[in-house]
Amino acid sequence: MKNIKLRTGLLLIPAVLWGALTVFAWFAPEKDISETERRPLAQMPEISADTLLSGSFMEKFDDFALDQFPLRDSFRTIKSLFHFYGLQQSDNNDIYIADGYAVKQEYPLNLDSVSHALDRFQHLYDKYLASSGSDIHMAIIPDKGYYLAEKSGHLTLDYEALFSAFEAGMPWADFIDLTDALSIEDYYRTDIHWRQENLPDAAAVICNHLGVTPPEPADFPMEEIERPFYGVYYGQAALPMEPEIMYFRKNNLLDSCWVYNYETGKYGRIFDLSKQDSRDLYDIFLSGPQSLLTIENPHAVTGRELIVFRDSFGSSMVPLLLQDYAKVTLVDIRYIQIDVLDRFLEFNGQDVLFLYSVPVLNNSQTIK
Amino acid sequence: MVFSSIPFLYYFLPLVVLVYFLVSGRGRNTVLLLSSLVFYGWGEPKLLGLMVFTIVLFYLCGLAIGGAKEQKQKKFWLTVSVVISLALLGLFKYADFFIGSFSSLTGLSLPLIRLSLPVGISFYTFQCLSYTVDVYRGQVQPQRSLLSFGAYVTMFPQLIAGPIVRYADIARQLDDRSHSLDAFLLGLRRFLVGLGKKVILADNFALLASLFRQSEEKSVLFYWMYAVAFMLNIYFDFSGYSDMAIGLGRIFGFHFMENFNYPYLSRSITEFWRRWHMSLGSWFRDYVYIPMGGNRVSKARWVFNIFTVWMLTGLWHGAAWNFVLWGVLFGVALMAEKWIPGLQKLPGVLRHGYVLLLVMLSFVLFNAESFSQAGADIAGLFGFGGVPLVSAPALYYLKSYALLFLFGIVGTTPVVKQCAGKIGDSKAGTVLEPLLLVFLLLVCTAYLVDGSFSPFLYFRF
Repeated sequence: MKNIKLRTGLLLIPAVLWGALTVFAWFAPEKDISETERRPLAQMPEISADTLLSGSFMEKFDDFALDQFPLRDSFRTIKSLFHFYGLQQSDNNDIYIADGYAVKQEYPLNLDSVSHALDRFQHLYDKYLASSGSDIHMAIIPDKGYYLAEKSGHLTLDYEALFSAFEAGMPWADFIDLTDALSIEDYYRTDIHWRQENLPDAAAVICNHLGVTPPEPADFPMEEIERPFYGVYYGQAALPMEPEIMYFRKNNLLDSCWVYNYETGKYGRIFDLSKQDSRDLYDIFLSGPQSLLTIENPHAVTGRELIVFRDSFGSSMVPLLLQDYAKVTLVDIRYIQIDVLDRFLEFNGQDVLFLYSVPVLNNSQTIK
Repeated sequence: MVFSSIPFLYYFLPLVVLVYFLVSGRGRNTVLLLSSLVFYGWGEPKLLGLMVFTIVLFYLCGLAIGGAKEQKQKKFWLTVSVVISLALLGLFKYADFFIGSFSSLTGLSLPLIRLSLPVGISFYTFQCLSYTVDVYRGQVQPQRSLLSFGAYVTMFPQLIAGPIVRYADIARQLDDRSHSLDAFLLGLRRFLVGLGKKVILADNFALLASLFRQSEEKSVLFYWMYAVAFMLNIYFDFSGYSDMAIGLGRIFGFHFMENFNYPYLSRSITEFWRRWHMSLGSWFRDYVYIPMGGNRVSKARWVFNIFTVWMLTGLWHGAAWNFVLWGVLFGVALMAEKWIPGLQKLPGVLRHGYVLLLVMLSFVLFNAESFSQAGADIAGLFGFGGVPLVSAPALYYLKSYALLFLFGIVGTTPVVKQCAGKIGDSKAGTVLEPLLLVFLLLVCTAYLVDGSFSPFLYFRF
């Protein structure tokens, strides 16, 4: 009898926990954004006859209940820990941890995506570059998986096939191999991106191909950002990972450059320190995702100009390439149509660099 | 709304439980009816009218059958209920299937109706049919209270995914049932076990099946992993949902029939169907097979009866030819077991292996989107069509899912239940049990919070 009472008493524990979580779910204050996932959280939807009959209230309430669940990040961590260590799964939502780095599994090679990217680059070449007399270069930035996937027993993209496809598909471009100039230490542990402070070697390889002065690390001293950096994979992995320190390389030359943003019509600086408060600290490099920027370098020793077609990796690399250039234009054709570029730019023999990361090339549907 | 979702677990269910136990007497059936209508209308508010129509139709037909003095009148009202409900089921679930098949056969291009399929229509139609048939047979009295009958038809614990609860089984409980803290806690325990089966096992196996489908690097090994993963997925999905339904039933004072009894331990297909989706099998036996004469007829008629029942079983699962073939396959296997006496004399291991292989192949067919995909999947299992033996993704996922496969395979046997039984009454078991349930609640919640919506496999049946 005593044992039965004890048993009933103990079985109340999960019931009480369920009740407590319910009370939290009902009465905990709503949050606006998820810091770890860098996105706004769903709010309580409007309730009306229309939204009820159309079912939109129910759909939105499902999102709201998930997004606003109490201790949401802690629960996501419980899931990750159980998934990785309890079930011994090799990845969680395609993210895995190897050598302390959170890596997004980029697999398999998406031939449709490669084909789409090549098609867009060819269109760009045919429309603007074929007759411009430009020297054109192409550099592909390997992702972290290039250095870690095979070694850690994860699915490995066929990098050789990807590189070969772009080399063969862009016969009008000089192909720059960055793989030997980079190593896994050149990437953030918690983020997709590379570390700018570690880029001089890779920048030197690109500069040698462009025929301009490579950056000397001593000429570009490092500065530290005070705010700890939690990269995009920190939130996605939902595992306990230490924050990182972000550095950037700056000098007087870079400080003197002006950056013109075609979207806002305003001038700014290369390092936008106002972005230290933004959700993504990586936005301090050229203010984050921007469709069209021009950097004017008043101290350039030549009148040469460079146009860089790029993704977000380019924001931290371009400052290390621009010493000799009077003007560098950065174009992100994920955010601007190729066919309207001639409204803003004149293609007249500038050096041209295509600088794209593997994740973008293997998921290129966003390229317009 | 599905059980394995945050809105259900932390909003709907606690509120219903709270209100249910705050009221007393017949008010509880009112709470059940209203909450079940909200549960049903949550996903399909526009189809609530169809549900209400079905309730009223069967309620009135039940009263008419019960009140009729002549057999002819009883038969008339039974026919009305059967014809109208099957017509509605046919219209919403099978019309486009038949139109499409007719078009393919004749070369015509008839327009499809494209009606939205009401959730759980197959379950509640079959439950209602059992009610009027049982009233007609005099096995139960018609329910006089529309509210109680509505509560039976719509009862959310078993509305969308079964088990198929016959009115006769819970008629008394509808009017008079007992509640206790023990029953509540045992119901919650059963619910959490089912939730764990669904969220931790079934959904992860579903993910592997989906990864296989997306992969362009299939191999023999990958095909086998897919087939086993889907077999485990459908078992844990469905039996997990049944556990949750039975557990919820206990919370509200009902005793629903068991729906699964370790079907993958079977040594014949006949045994398999006594252990798999038992409420459906017994429904077809009692309301279709036996009324057709069962096996007490000529051999030719018996063959006809078997094929009819299994073709209907297949069609019940989905309006597509692969489901029909799936059902017929089992009909053939059942007849083979009756006609080939040597089959039952084979060593147990071989019989077990044959059942697992046949069931696995049947589920590959079940899950295929077309005959050609089913053919390719089955060919792939045996290395036809130039499929390599192994591929990089297959090896990767084999390593990644090794432990889950182990848990899954062990979970299809009574080993866990036996272990729980052995330690259950000890002091250690008394402490471990609630801890395990807390763990299940936290991990399942964590998966639900992290993941996206994961609909139940039998949702549209």
